[in-house]
Amino acid sequence: MTPALAILMVVGLPLLGALPLAMVGRRLGARTAWLALVFPVVGFLALGWLYGTHEGPTRLVSWPWVPSIGLNLTFGIDGLALFFALIVSGMGVLVVFYAGFYLDGHAAHHGRFYAYLMLFMAAMLGTVLSDNLLLLFAFWELTGIASFLLIGFLHEQEGSRRGARMALLITGATGLAGLVGIVLVRQISGTYSLRELMAAGGLDEAPLAGAAMTLLLLAAFGKSAQFPLQFWLPNAMAAPTPVSAYLHSATMVKLGVFLTARLFPLFHEHPYWAPIVSSVAFVTLVLGGVLALLSTQLKAILAYSTVSQLGFLIGYYGLGPSEGLESDFLHILNHVFYKGCLFMVVGIVYVATHAKDIREVGGLWKRMPLLGVIAGIACAAMLGLPGTTGFLSKELMFKEIFVSPRAHGPLGVLAVVAVVLTSLLKVAFSVRLFQGMFLGKEPASVAKHFQAPPSWMLMPPAVLAACALVLGVAPELLSGPIHHLHVPGLHTPTPPELHLWHGVTRELLASMAVVAAGFGVVAWGNRTAWRWAVVPRWLQFDLLYDRGLDFLGRFAKKVTRVSGADWPGAWPRVPVATLVVLVGGFLWVRFPPGEVLDLLGDGLSEHRWDGLRVLVAALIALGALGVVILRSWPAQVVALSVSGFMTTVYFVLYRAPDLALTQILVETVSLVLIVTLLARFPRSAQEGEDVDRRWRFRQVVSLVVAIGFGIMMTAMGLLVTTRPHPNRIGGWFLDNTQPLAKGANAVNTLLVDFRGFDTFGEITVLVVAMLGCLGLLFRHRRTTGEHRAGAKGAPGLGINTAHDAGEGRS
Amino acid sequence: MQADTALLSGVLFAVSMWLLLQRSFVKVLFGFVLLSNAANLFVLMMSGEPVGRSAPIVGDPGPVVDPLPQALVLTAIVIGFGVTAYLVTLLYRLFLDSGTTHVDELYADEPAEREKSK
Repeated sequence: MTPALAILMVVGLPLLGALPLAMVGRRLGARTAWLALVFPVVGFLALGWLYGTHEGPTRLVSWPWVPSIGLNLTFGIDGLALFFALIVSGMGVLVVFYAGFYLDGHAAHHGRFYAYLMLFMAAMLGTVLSDNLLLLFAFWELTGIASFLLIGFLHEQEGSRRGARMALLITGATGLAGLVGIVLVRQISGTYSLRELMAAGGLDEAPLAGAAMTLLLLAAFGKSAQFPLQFWLPNAMAAPTPVSAYLHSATMVKLGVFLTARLFPLFHEHPYWAPIVSSVAFVTLVLGGVLALLSTQLKAILAYSTVSQLGFLIGYYGLGPSEGLESDFLHILNHVFYKGCLFMVVGIVYVATHAKDIREVGGLWKRMPLLGVIAGIACAAMLGLPGTTGFLSKELMFKEIFVSPRAHGPLGVLAVVAVVLTSLLKVAFSVRLFQGMFLGKEPASVAKHFQAPPSWMLMPPAVLAACALVLGVAPELLSGPIHHLHVPGLHTPTPPELHLWHGVTRELLASMAVVAAGFGVVAWGNRTAWRWAVVPRWLQFDLLYDRGLDFLGRFAKKVTRVSGADWPGAWPRVPVATLVVLVGGFLWVRFPPGEVLDLLGDGLSEHRWDGLRVLVAALIALGALGVVILRSWPAQVVALSVSGFMTTVYFVLYRAPDLALTQILVETVSLVLIVTLLARFPRSAQEGEDVDRRWRFRQVVSLVVAIGFGIMMTAMGLLVTTRPHPNRIGGWFLDNTQPLAKGANAVNTLLVDFRGFDTFGEITVLVVAMLGCLGLLFRHRRTTGEHRAGAKGAPGLGINTAHDAGEGRS
Repeated sequence: MQADTALLSGVLFAVSMWLLLQRSFVKVLFGFVLLSNAANLFVLMMSGEPVGRSAPIVGDPGPVVDPLPQALVLTAIVIGFGVTAYLVTLLYRLFLDSGTTHVDELYADEPAEREKSK
């Protein structure tokens, strides 16, 4: 086994497997899960091998893709990538197993579901394992697309469609900001490779570093639902619960955390790093906690608490000391354990009772004691009771945050306040969640509809709860693996010291106080029956989003109306005028009009006058003006032809015999075509032309635009011809026309030899145009009535007949 | 220095743009033919002042003009013709189907609808 093979098994296999899964899904039904289970299991084992052989430095695996723009399939295996990849594939195993029961009988289209899920898993693993930033971006956006498909899986429901659109729009738009940031990073450092970037050290000094950092952080904030974009995550809860557990708590939303961790070694010395990251993140932390307490939908409570915890995880990097962090992996792992577990528990409660709201359930302890134990452990981990990883995480969190006022001043104080307040809120909503589901009185609807869930379904959340418990009691077990995966530049070089009991410290005291206060809030809530627990309108940011989208649509409509784009008679002026204003304006500013006029004067007063050429030019111009001035179609066609044939002569004077030949042929054929066409029109049609000869405002606008366009082109011609390119490629063709193409005429060899494919394309255009003409000519089929009425008026062009005169214009 | 060509192409561009902005499709057709002539002259201008030089054929005496713009223009003439032919047929079809070549008549019922939808 080699790293390359392992990467193929981890990323490539689920990507390839998605399509066959979609196809066999119809036949296998709910059993598709067992087939889909193969992919995360194989991936997890391959990652396990990579973990075992991990020695510290990043291992690169690379396949060329588009080397010319620096885009290669380069994967880098380092501690951070392995940590996230193990979580993704490990959770993948549990979620697919769980979904096998959850979807059974609940949904159709199993094949599609697992295909999307595998697509997501591959994209997610690709993102965390990418070394090339462009590749990372591609996978990053692919996770967004997979998330869109999964949120909208139950697309018959309005809520699913809305949530899917919202998630795609926000993560996609912020992702694009990230792409700009990636390009800027490349501009600064000259590389897309993360490994090279890490080796080169921080980018803090570069002039554009601030912009690059902000844009990349924007991508991270969008993906991780940070303030003020937090609203998409609760709306994404319209997805089936396994999806919520996987994408929207354990993995995809952690990409923001992942990206922040990736950026930490590059940007943490930048003066704006700590302010931007921690202010956004800690506001999100508190806001998420408040909203979780005020929500009543079971999944919304979990979603907001996820938002809150993501805020902490990101803010943690914001305040990180420059010598490196210690326990970020522990915090992430803890969240994965309890949040993944709780989502699965809520899903089981839904399967058993069809209840989605905390006010519709209760007293389930008697019916499902085992589930109650699992949920109890997870809630204990969420609020941070001793004996769970949550306690450990909270102790370390307090320990690290309490020193931050000294290092960061007011920002640190904000962090302390936010963390303590949110811990209190977290205790309150964790306890409420547990008591709401398992304690109290059983509502009548539950008693009526209760249906015991399959007992195997309890296994995945039980595994997660067991992890939270075992590693909480024996945290020493974690110390080694975390150190094994430490990333230089991001983490401290010494292994973290994790113990269950740190002695009576101020963290322990604070923690106890917070837990007591949290229970107090719950007691008060129970006394008031949680009547105040409603999310106020001004905290529902999605309403604002809806209004913004609405406005965008109305704004576009207004622009369409005002510019006349829905009205072909008026519209063409708008783009042409825009062109004149933009390009002409640029020329005006860049080259003052006086300078251009001088050029024209110099040109006209020069000695090398070619009298014949000026005469021909005058004739061409006269012909063109004739088209405008003359009234009747025949006269206009003649004027047009004069202009065209004189252009032939002009070509001759320009030493272009081939052009003259072509032009004279084309001009002749065009003339024949146009005359044939116009001859078919009744004379009356032409009379309609003069209906609108009056001068109107729009005619004035058209005239100004047209003349402006002419002046602009003249100025451009003058400027370009007086500044010839010093190194023209025409000479190369002249030198090589005989040696390489065996022809003396360089224009001929250019067309049929050097640029033969262009000429081939040109011929193709002609063929397509001809086919189009044929289609237009053959399509018409006259109705019986039309046939009886005879021709549409008599032939025109001066051949006036009594029939035509009598009938008038139809 | 080819001030005459610059002026000529400017005039042609102005005239063709004026025609393109008219509401009769026959005018638009004429405008397109002139526009392609104008663009061809404009590109040809880039091959340099022809006085005192000969065609880009090896063996001709003296310095020669740049062959590349000529090759580009040649392609452009042919493609311009293809589009002209298509436009001519389109115009013919339009007239057969709706009996007019004037955009105002073609969309005669539209303004009322516009008013309604407001």
